Amino acid sequence: MTLFDLVIRSMRKNIKHYYLYFFALIFSVVLYFVFATLQHDPAVVKQSGGTMGTAFKVAGILLLFIAGTFVVYANAIFLKRRSREIGLYQLIGLTKGAVARLLILENTLLSAGAMAIGIGAGMIVSRLFLLLLMKLVGFDGFIELTFSKTAVLQTILVFIAIILLTSLQMLVAVRRTTLLGLFNAEKQGEHPKKPKAVRSAFLAILGIGLIAFGYWLSGRMMNALLFINMLVVLATTITGTYLLFRVTISWLFYQVRKRKQGHLGLNGSLSIATLMHRMKGNANSLTIITVLSAMTLAMLAGSYSLYYSTGKETRSIYPHDFMFGGYGDAQEEKETKQFTDELDRQGISYLYTPIEVLNLDGRFFEEETITSWLSEMFSANIVSEKQLQQAGIDIEIPDARTAYFYDASVYWLMKTTEVPFSVKLTNPKNELDVSITKVKEGNILNPPFAGTQLVVDDAFYQEIKEQFINQEETHRVGTFFSVMILNKDQQAEASEIYHDFTKENDRLNFDYYGQYESTMQYTGLLIFIAGFLGLVFLISTGSILYFKQMTEADQEKRSYATLRQLGFTVQDIMRGIVRKQVFVFGVPLVIGLLHSIFAIKAASFLFMSDITLPASIAMAIYVLIYLVFALLTVGYYRKTVKAAL
Amino acid sequence: MEQNTVLHAQNVRKSFGARGNVQEVLRGIDLRVLEGEFVGIMGPSGAGKTTLLNVLATIDRTTEGSILIGDADISKMKDRELSAFRRDKLGFIFQDYNLLDTLTVKENILLPVSLGKMHKRVAEDHFKSIADILGIKELANKYPHEISGGQKQRTSAARALINKPSLVFADEPTGALDSKSASSLLGTLEDVNKQRGVTIMMVTHDPVASSYCSRVVFLKDGKIYSELYRGDKTRQAFFQEILKVQGVLGGDSVDTL
Ligand SMILES: Nc1ncnc2c1ncn2[C@@H]1O[C@H](COP(=O)(O)OP(=O)(O)O)[C@@H](O)[C@H]1O
Ligand SMILES: [Mg+2]
Repeated sequence: MTLFDLVIRSMRKNIKHYYLYFFALIFSVVLYFVFATLQHDPAVVKQSGGTMGTAFKVAGILLLFIAGTFVVYANAIFLKRRSREIGLYQLIGLTKGAVARLLILENTLLSAGAMAIGIGAGMIVSRLFLLLLMKLVGFDGFIELTFSKTAVLQTILVFIAIILLTSLQMLVAVRRTTLLGLFNAEKQGEHPKKPKAVRSAFLAILGIGLIAFGYWLSGRMMNALLFINMLVVLATTITGTYLLFRVTISWLFYQVRKRKQGHLGLNGSLSIATLMHRMKGNANSLTIITVLSAMTLAMLAGSYSLYYSTGKETRSIYPHDFMFGGYGDAQEEKETKQFTDELDRQGISYLYTPIEVLNLDGRFFEEETITSWLSEMFSANIVSEKQLQQAGIDIEIPDARTAYFYDASVYWLMKTTEVPFSVKLTNPKNELDVSITKVKEGNILNPPFAGTQLVVDDAFYQEIKEQFINQEETHRVGTFFSVMILNKDQQAEASEIYHDFTKENDRLNFDYYGQYESTMQYTGLLIFIAGFLGLVFLISTGSILYFKQMTEADQEKRSYATLRQLGFTVQDIMRGIVRKQVFVFGVPLVIGLLHSIFAIKAASFLFMSDITLPASIAMAIYVLIYLVFALLTVGYYRKTVKAAL
Repeated sequence: MEQNTVLHAQNVRKSFGARGNVQEVLRGIDLRVLEGEFVGIMGPSGAGKTTLLNVLATIDRTTEGSILIGDADISKMKDRELSAFRRDKLGFIFQDYNLLDTLTVKENILLPVSLGKMHKRVAEDHFKSIADILGIKELANKYPHEISGGQKQRTSAARALINKPSLVFADEPTGALDSKSASSLLGTLEDVNKQRGVTIMMVTHDPVASSYCSRVVFLKDGKIYSELYRGDKTRQAFFQEILKVQGVLGGDSVDTL
């Protein structure tokens, strides 16, 4: 019998073990191929240009890393499951070299098959992903997916590298293990030791303490030590999580078990007891899975929120569709006229409003308002509420002789400042203290003119103007020209006209719709990549838990046989197993969710909008995926228990 | 005094394999076991001893024939009923102990009563008295990997007895033990049988082991070949008788395990 015959025979016999690894491989190929296809797709390249290309490249490397780790990990589990068979080959006289050759040949055949199927399946689903991506970035033209040779080549190259890696892994596995060890590998699993009372109790509580401290600190990071705080939060929560899995849980189980004095019950025997046996070996992977899934969730929720609130946020930064103007430059009015004339010619209806603005020097002088973040002096643009109303902006009117503070660029720092506080308005001859009664979100004038804006009622505006503006100070009065498009459907057209116009006149262009569109593209890509990677990551970790549980189920088969001989029904046994699975999947899930909630909360200053909804959606998806895997493992266990007798 | 019948098997047949390749392992077995008996089942390897035990113990189903345990006709029961029946009425001792590695000795022993139908205090009392008889009280909190084979088998025996079964089945319980542990365990089983009146059915191919029984049934080619009653004979004399029958049977006293 040639080596090849042996390979074919063993593969046929081992289908049960293979299919797990085979699926892991196919899954990785499909995802990688989809990604590579999108990366090289002409439509995407055209739509995205430079920045997106880089984002794709970085994400591609990350994906490669995840896929590689996943395949290597699955291969390790697979090898362990087959250790008995490998031992048997050596027992019947095959040399280690021959066994390694056999395994590598199998691996190569298997991987080549997975690659073919994966690329095929990838071609089908990549169209779906392309549509999704284009929809996310707001492109609604006709999309044609072209077959990408580069993508195929790239995928093949990457997976050849992975095959080499897994082959090496097999070589090492065969080399390193003794015959005896190989036979025992499947039975390994440590025996729970009686924990050293004081030390364990200390570490167990320390684990929870560290996590609690990390959570606590995460809400108080906003000070001069921000960066150090972030590191401390990361370090304490990760260490705490590790201790939780490595010590705390075992310790708690041990206490529960001790109190039962041997009357563990069937459910306890199938859950607590088996979990205790495997906690030590599982601590590392559970920690990694928990921490990384928390990060994934935070990333997903964050990018979703950016995407979700693009319209709202852009509008809050660019309250006017278009704005022209400046201080003492008559040219601006003429240009605005040229632009509106063009709008007229195209039949686009608009609202045109000149807005007068006073520019004064402002100064924070109250103790609490002077933070280390902001300089004391600022340039204050005073705007009358009345003109803004005329421009069609719906705003709240401040009380007489008070002002509302607007500045989108520092809102995240200012929003926690207690109101009312006062600022000083100055010019060389005058000084006036103005009470700020509210710090509002966003701007009231478009960038780049905005600066810090103080909105006052019209009477107060006139008063300030009189007090500060005299003959020499006229350059302190400026006029901005707001143009609002009345029909939302014509916004895109107007924006195009604006862009042509600014290009001709060599002006900077900042308009609402243009910003909205490019932000949409950017955040759409971001959420796509985050979602894609997050999905890959969740499915990978879910599969790893699933594989591990499959192996465990096989190892426990004898126990199930015994239990059934003793007269326990499949249902009785499954009740205990379900409890265990709730724990195996539930604990990383719950702790991962908790971590991510605190991470999102800590990072929420970055997001203007409320991110409860996007975060909840991301979490729901996460829960759903884990639920599917948990159900799959329960199904596998049920099959195992049923077949046990 | 009229003794109650604990088990009554009539014309039990069992075949394995699909159509065309059927192997009939049990070919019409009639057997009656009375309360308080200690029945040994002997026979060469492959005679169908384990098959018979499994069938009688409700672990496997017969192809034909009826089995009554007490008043219950187990050949007519559904799987669920069988499970409950096994759990409440029967005890098992296996050749390779079948202890759960993840449980301590005490937890293993308490497994059969672990669905909570027995009050915890009662279970604790049962445990104490049984662990006492089997001499494993000190091992209660040890794990199977920390104790010897003999101790494991005692644990297994204790587990079989915890729910006060009407019938205990043992398949080669001494098969994996050295002779000293084996005779010590058999002595204990004999005591349990005599003093507590527990009915035991034990499969073995070891004549020494079966000499502890009150009756030995010989199996050959799926049929009962003969029976020996110990009566008032000494164990030594009974042992000699068993050897004789085994010789005629062309048995395998050096049967490998
Ligand atoms: N599940 C099974 N399927 C097919 N054949 C079986 C099965 N169990 C036992 N046998 C066959 O039945 C015969 C008797 O087996 P067994 O009862 O284990 O014998 P003993 O315990 O007396 O050594 C053997 O020939 C064995 O091959
Ligand atoms: Mg047997």
